[in-house]
Amino acid sequence: MSVKNYLRDKLLFIVLTAAVAAFAFLLLDSIPGVGYAGVYISSAFIIAQAISLICEYIRKNSFYRTALKSLQNLDRKYLISEMLVSPSFEEGRILCEITRGACKSMNDEIAEYRRTSNDYREYIESWVHEIKTPISSSRLTLENNPSKVNSSLSDDMDKIENYVEQALFYSRSSNVEKDYVIRKTTLKKIAASALKKYAGTLIVANASISADGLDEAVCTDTKWTDFIIGQILINSVKYRNGHLKIRFTGKEKKNKVLLTVTDNGIGIPGKDLRHIFEKGFTGTNGRIGRRSTGFGLYLCRRLCKKMGLGIFADSQEGKGTSVTLSFPKSSMYL
Amino acid sequence: MDSVFIVEDDRKIRTELTKLLQKYGYRCYTSDDFSHMPDVILKQNPQLVLLDLNLPVYDGFYICRELRRHSKIPIIVVTSRSTDMDELMSMNFGADDFITKPYNTQILLARIAAVMARTYPEKAPDKISYRGLTVNFSQSVAEAEGGKAELTKNELRILSILLRNRRRITTRNDMMNALWQSDEFVDDNTLTVNINRLRKKLESIGVHNYLITKRGQGYMI
Repeated sequence: MSVKNYLRDKLLFIVLTAAVAAFAFLLLDSIPGVGYAGVYISSAFIIAQAISLICEYIRKNSFYRTALKSLQNLDRKYLISEMLVSPSFEEGRILCEITRGACKSMNDEIAEYRRTSNDYREYIESWVHEIKTPISSSRLTLENNPSKVNSSLSDDMDKIENYVEQALFYSRSSNVEKDYVIRKTTLKKIAASALKKYAGTLIVANASISADGLDEAVCTDTKWTDFIIGQILINSVKYRNGHLKIRFTGKEKKNKVLLTVTDNGIGIPGKDLRHIFEKGFTGTNGRIGRRSTGFGLYLCRRLCKKMGLGIFADSQEGKGTSVTLSFPKSSMYL
Repeated sequence: MDSVFIVEDDRKIRTELTKLLQKYGYRCYTSDDFSHMPDVILKQNPQLVLLDLNLPVYDGFYICRELRRHSKIPIIVVTSRSTDMDELMSMNFGADDFITKPYNTQILLARIAAVMARTYPEKAPDKISYRGLTVNFSQSVAEAEGGKAELTKNELRILSILLRNRRRITTRNDMMNALWQSDEFVDDNTLTVNINRLRKKLESIGVHNYLITKRGQGYMI
């Protein structure tokens, strides 16, 4: 609250005070024999009004300044009502009441949404666990009754499983920290774990795997990296071009460790490349009959962000794509 | 014969899992009596327990703890709940391994075999003889009347997969999957090369037509 603005707000009061003082002065001045009474009365009046103005300024200024400061310091601005101390002047009290009312309603609304979204997440998670039982038993049935359609059906089962997995990881992605156990591991173990998990899909696609420089140690939770690398591998299978070759390369940078998954697939057109991590983006490749959901990579980036990992892609159309995960190097283990 | 007790409330999974494990030479027990499960298991005295976590009456953690109070029998938790918490709890209650559903059957079989070998080292065969060929696993050597042949890691694995699966066809995909599960990420060509080399080695020690190719299906011995 600047002095200038405050005075501008009080303009009417100031003008009236000046007018009344001038009128009193002129009135008393015209009466003979009262001497300097006009000057005294007018000055006393002006001084009294000025003091009341100054006092009011100090009171309001201290209240509003504290309020603004609290707002600035607050992470969640809608909690401001908790920070306001009811002042001694009426306007301030009204403001406090309004803020309190608005914030309470806001908080109730937020609580309601949080509850429904939690309910929904719980439902999705239990749904995923339920659906896994029939998937497991179908797989076992397939295994026990070998026939010519087996590999085709089990390929489809892999796809179903992946979509189910996506749903689970999406619902978990809003609170990764609840289920995130960081352990020291190596790039080699991370890659091997993902390859084993997605072995079925990769073997049916007849993928050739090679690796280079994966001895770097990193700290992460392989459950999540399995999923992220899995999405990258599934894309490599989906967008393959002839004999699929996948290469894992590790590289050490100053304060991070990079794991790159390179394939020799159809690649991504330059104009699509910077959008591939966006939700629902299918791009040219996704529209030419390869059924992209635009969800896999979006989820990868979302999870990476939550875990403090970097993810970026590079591609040459017709030659292949490489997706790189960057793990922060923790000085704790060095 | 190795015996496995399957604790699972889904009937279909139970029967299919029993069929699968029987095919691979395990004797299987199951029970519907979920309120006395630990006692039923202990009475059967199997060599390994496959334990689901979501069960009627008592959950898997309870059964795990009860079993541990009386026995050191190996327990593999098989569940569709896949959080770290479940894994941690299972391990704390004394489970030996943790597999999430839906599992790859090759992974399941490999884990069962691994836990069995760890718990009963005296029973783990160091050598298997079948149709005139003896495979020595610890030395990675194949022996026959015609002599000895050293085997590479992959050749040994291929032989052991086929021997575990003897008299049945192992598809190329299953074999590759089993190799991948032991960290050998071979592709189709490499598998063909490995199999051809293995055949030649076996022929050099006088074993002919040991690996039979079933065209379009896989291999068997």
